[in-house]
Amino acid sequence: MFLDETLKFFGALAAQTGLANLWWGNVVMIALGIGMILLAVTKKYEPLLLVGIGFSCIMSNVPGSDLILPGGLFTYAYKGVQLLILPPLIFFGVGAMTDFGPMIANPKLVILGAAAHLGIFVALIGAKLLGFTIYQAGAIGIIGGADGPMAVFMAVKLAPELLPQISVAAYSYMALMPLIQPPVMKLLTTKAERKIRMKQLRTVSRVERIAFPIIIGVIVNLLLPPVAPLITMLMLGNLFKEVLVTSRLAKTAANEVMNVVIVLLTVAIGSTMQAEKFLTGSTLEVVALGLVAFLFGTGSGVVGAKIMNLFLKEKINPLLGSAGIASVPIAARVSHNVALEDDPDNFLIYHAMGPNLAGVFGTALSGGIMLALLQ
Amino acid sequence: MNKDTLTFAVILSLIDFFLSMVMITGIGLVLRLLPLLNRLGKLDEESMRRGH
Repeated sequence: MFLDETLKFFGALAAQTGLANLWWGNVVMIALGIGMILLAVTKKYEPLLLVGIGFSCIMSNVPGSDLILPGGLFTYAYKGVQLLILPPLIFFGVGAMTDFGPMIANPKLVILGAAAHLGIFVALIGAKLLGFTIYQAGAIGIIGGADGPMAVFMAVKLAPELLPQISVAAYSYMALMPLIQPPVMKLLTTKAERKIRMKQLRTVSRVERIAFPIIIGVIVNLLLPPVAPLITMLMLGNLFKEVLVTSRLAKTAANEVMNVVIVLLTVAIGSTMQAEKFLTGSTLEVVALGLVAFLFGTGSGVVGAKIMNLFLKEKINPLLGSAGIASVPIAARVSHNVALEDDPDNFLIYHAMGPNLAGVFGTALSGGIMLALLQ
Repeated sequence: MNKDTLTFAVILSLIDFFLSMVMITGIGLVLRLLPLLNRLGKLDEESMRRGH
């Protein structure tokens, strides 16, 4: 009898631990989290993002952990995402470290920042065909804008239940751009086109650099209030950088603020990757649609540049078109590297930054119009 | 109109793509006019850098 009672006692104790609730889904997600950390540490794939996301993914899939329960520590990080505080703060830091000179110096290339976003709408229509709601389809489509904070912003606004899938897809594909984009770029261009050299850009004055964030902030707030928080904070950070008299604020925004926000954002995203929500058929569909969006966006950017060349006396290198996808500066670097393969002296990086930066506005405009039409 | 349809998704995409091209072209035009601000004068960057 004593043995029976003892066994019953230990049985009851075990039943109320997390171990009793562990299922294969938790094991898979824990393995995924470990995989993310390994990729970050060994291959250096987006370590600032993957370490935090991977770790909080692991912890969120340990049953019994109260980190993700109401009032748990990770839920406070998620509040920052839910209340749309963290994505604008990321943009604040990005603005403080960004040189918009290439975009200001060659304004005709900004149109590539919109041309390269056809992928958003291909993915949106594809998602609708697969049975997602229009709101979910809109949030999935924005993955094609290759802008992490914007993808998080739109997911929270339109389809918070898909936040883990959308954010993981957006940030993963951004890191994989050097693999995804070049085949499409080479397929759509000739060697002669890839060897086109660009004229040196003019110098942008300090007055222009200071006026730029103020003017753009006013325009976006006037025309697209739904995305004003993101672009306003981007411009505020940039203004701190460009006025020179607030360099310590710009340094804080670009370093300390960014670092703190990245920690909170990655913990928040990872904490939503619970097995019950993540291991569904829709996750695979979101991942596939994200790839479609990137491929079409790359192609539409290159084709957009080729269409521009029909009307321009001084031709632009069509590889700049794919840089219109917003992933700064990865897409610009890819354009530069692909050009170097055919002409080792053709340095496109500074020129490619123009459409690359315009892509940030392109994604914001596409998202803002979408929100205005859907909400 | 019922928004949760394929037809609305296509219309939304067409309008959104077209409008974003128009708006970004407008931003491009504004950027084209930025050099006119240089007529207001030059800023002393050295003294600005000596700020806080």
